[in-house]
Amino acid sequence: MLEIQNLHVSVGGKEILKGLTLHVNAGEVHAIMGPNGSGKSTLSYALAGRPGYEITEGRVYYKDEDLTTLAPEERSAKGVFLALQYPVEIPGVTTMNFLKTALNAQRRARGESEFDAVSILRLVRGKATALNVPEEMLKRALNVGFSGGEKKRLEILQMALFEPSLAILDETDSGLDIDALKLVAEGVNTLRAPNRAMLVITHYQRLLTYIVPDRVHVLAGGRIVAEGGKELAHELEAKGYAGIIKDAA
Amino acid sequence: MSIAVSPLEVFRAKGVPHRRMEDWKYSDLRSAIDEKSVEHISGACIRTDAPAPIESLGAGDVMPEWLANRIESLGRVGSMEAAARAFAGGVLALRVPAGEQVDLPLHIDYMSAGHSHIVLSVEARASLTLLETYRARGGGLQNTSLSIFLEEGARLTHIRQASFASELIAVETVSVVQAKDSRYRVHLMEGGAKLSRVEFNIALKGEGAEADLSGISVLGDHAHADITTHIDHAVPNTISRQLFKKVAGDYSRAIYQGKITVREGAVGSDSRQTAKALLLSARAEADLKPELEILADDVKCAHGAAIGDLDADSLFYLRSRGIADDEAHTLLINAFLQEVVDHIEDDAVRSSAVEFVEAGLARAMIVAP
Repeated sequence: MLEIQNLHVSVGGKEILKGLTLHVNAGEVHAIMGPNGSGKSTLSYALAGRPGYEITEGRVYYKDEDLTTLAPEERSAKGVFLALQYPVEIPGVTTMNFLKTALNAQRRARGESEFDAVSILRLVRGKATALNVPEEMLKRALNVGFSGGEKKRLEILQMALFEPSLAILDETDSGLDIDALKLVAEGVNTLRAPNRAMLVITHYQRLLTYIVPDRVHVLAGGRIVAEGGKELAHELEAKGYAGIIKDAA
Repeated sequence: MSIAVSPLEVFRAKGVPHRRMEDWKYSDLRSAIDEKSVEHISGACIRTDAPAPIESLGAGDVMPEWLANRIESLGRVGSMEAAARAFAGGVLALRVPAGEQVDLPLHIDYMSAGHSHIVLSVEARASLTLLETYRARGGGLQNTSLSIFLEEGARLTHIRQASFASELIAVETVSVVQAKDSRYRVHLMEGGAKLSRVEFNIALKGEGAEADLSGISVLGDHAHADITTHIDHAVPNTISRQLFKKVAGDYSRAIYQGKITVREGAVGSDSRQTAKALLLSARAEADLKPELEILADDVKCAHGAAIGDLDADSLFYLRSRGIADDEAHTLLINAFLQEVVDHIEDDAVRSSAVEFVEAGLARAMIVAP
């Protein structure tokens, strides 16, 4: 599903990722853990195609296609989804209108027919209830005045709606209390599927108690320095990043 | 007792305004037209649709006393306002009798360029919607003096819709005198011109008077659109609201100058002023100049001005959700203008504002190579 080889990414002329290699198969959930400044968000932005994240070396293949040449909207239409750590507030655009515009834009790009307003409303309502996203939230301006938990729930709602093949969750646990965390994790778990891969990026082991990964990778200094099964997350919790990074060196 | 000075004398004494005058700093009219040309331009052709029971008085009629008194009460006039009065070839005077609620709009359609002098009086407790539209698309000068008198409890909603006219010089001076408890609301839709400047002089002269000015400017090409406002809180307990948003693309220039004066003794004055501009190209320019002069205590005045470009985080967020770059731009620009569109009370006017934005954006978003 996703094959990253020797990826080097620079932001504003400064190299952040320095030769990252990663393989994720369909149906798998991989966790990327790392201390602050290790390049976690840079990886997620580079995969989503954010302007300013310059790939200087290496390759990124998604479903056997070079991802790096595609615009962010093209990646989205092909099934790449990034749940942001800090979802953006956009006054003047209602949440419902945004969801409709985005879903139809993706469908149009894939040559599929667009949904009418009624079908979309029905679709969104069905998925929103499961994630405890009230109707009233959909009528408000996108993310404006939403709590941290509401913003993250809306990200997961988008994921449920867009049904991506590759979902990247960037620090989805940050700023969530335990109830919100469980709700979000449950939403993610129901989306686990044999034809879908997920990359869960997090600083803390906490989230991985609820979203149990198939593989765990430790990112430090722009490279993967350790890899293992779900037990690696527990080891990290016990030893701390410094311990693991030292062991790897 | 002052000796009356004719508009012609005022214009000849003052001449065409220029950029060294504070009020015309961003709109150098003299570089676009000279005095001789202004004098040679004749009256504009205006089509007026005045539903009953509005009384109208044409150019050839004798000026009744109410009208003469009111025009005189305006006092000091600017030179272009004086030129409009001197060269329009007469005054178009309109009156809504006391207590009349006119449902259909009074439509003033400027069919050609030229000078116009219009006086509108909305008498006590009467209400009206005034719509101004402009058809001149060629060169020349459109110069209008519009004087509005709102008597006690009168209500006027004023809509001014001016699409882009690439060769036209368009100048309009709107003077509004408001009595007790009157309400004036104006919605501007500005597409700009070669040089366009509309000036509002609002005198809040009766307690409880309220003025609400809002507008959107959607500019592309070499469009120039200047909105200049002077609000005079002359007596206690009056309210003014201003909300202007401007989108400037390509080589266009968006200008807002707004001066609020709270006179001595005008306690309880409440004024709010917001002007924001969004620049869509590196060559576009916005100048926003809010100004407050407060000579009274116990007043509420809030003002803010901001110029920016589209937020990169927002653009990326939308694109990462599959929304193509140009559609994401359109969505964010509309979102920026939404607050002003939502401020329009009438459904039909709001729809026409949406159409105006759509048409304007098609031009504003063209990026020259």
